[in-house]
Amino acid sequence: MNLLHLCQWLYGTSLGTAIRESPSAYPIIESIHVLGITLLVGTVSIVDLRLLGLVLKREEVSEVVSQVLPLTWCGFVIMFVSGFLLFWSKAEQCYGNPAFRLKLLLLLLAGLNPLIFHSTVYRRVATWGESAATPNRAKLAGVISLALWSAIIVSGRAIAYFK
Amino acid sequence: MTVLSVFQWLGHTAVGRAMQHSTYGVAIVEMVHLLALALLGGTILLVDLRLFGVGLKRQPASGLAQELAPLFWGSFAVIVLSGLIILSAEPMKCYYNTAFRAKMAILFVALLFHFTLHRDAVAATKQRNSTVWAKSAAAVSLTLWLAVGLAGRAIGFL
Repeated sequence: MNLLHLCQWLYGTSLGTAIRESPSAYPIIESIHVLGITLLVGTVSIVDLRLLGLVLKREEVSEVVSQVLPLTWCGFVIMFVSGFLLFWSKAEQCYGNPAFRLKLLLLLLAGLNPLIFHSTVYRRVATWGESAATPNRAKLAGVISLALWSAIIVSGRAIAYFK
Repeated sequence: MTVLSVFQWLGHTAVGRAMQHSTYGVAIVEMVHLLALALLGGTILLVDLRLFGVGLKRQPASGLAQELAPLFWGSFAVIVLSGLIILSAEPMKCYYNTAFRAKMAILFVALLFHFTLHRDAVAATKQRNSTVWAKSAAAVSLTLWLAVGLAGRAIGFL
């Protein structure tokens, strides 16, 4: 069974069909998905902008990260569940959609970025102290994250323009 | 001068005409509108959650709001400007769209609340944190902004 078959099977399940055929289910889930951007990407951006030394300069980076991270995870769960339901109902169309494929690739990269960041430069966050300035590699991680998440939003919106 | 005539004028401006004749114009400006939503919504969310006592707890909401003010105003400017450009592309569709009308009405209330009672509630956290007053202001604010977002998304569904 390849990926296309999996998508076709998902598409044909009763839940996928129910979401697709209900007049209100898809718009409601999509609205949740769009507004969930604020919780996921909004909080990620604020951490990134702190890494760049642009906002919350009076707060230590570790303070901002540890306090905002639970909210980001919350946003991630909302986005993943709502996004998966949207995909479920249109899996067959999503499979061949270039914007959807690009989005998944970007999501993978956006997931790798904090993994690398947290296991390398962030380990020494205690030595950054209270200074507004951060190491260049931390700034780089911030810029990459902002770019990736922006591209994810853009490609996500673009899914609707490819039929 | 009626609202209708302002909308008609918007559609006849150079920007409006350019948007109406462009293939990708609306799509691109819509993406910018969404990016600004992430930042503006994120900023509002962090301050309101702080009023609830969730999130950035080590600093009072007043300090947080002050530090995030440039982000709020920056993303607010982008979202209003991109919104106006999208509006100029299809002013008549928006004028008769129930969701658009609802969005504008709720947006007006949200802004009014944000710059009066909400601002007072945030400023009051300098003295005392997490009062019932602060939590109610956060609840009303989140509800209003959420409704603005929902109505905004609904414009495309009607």
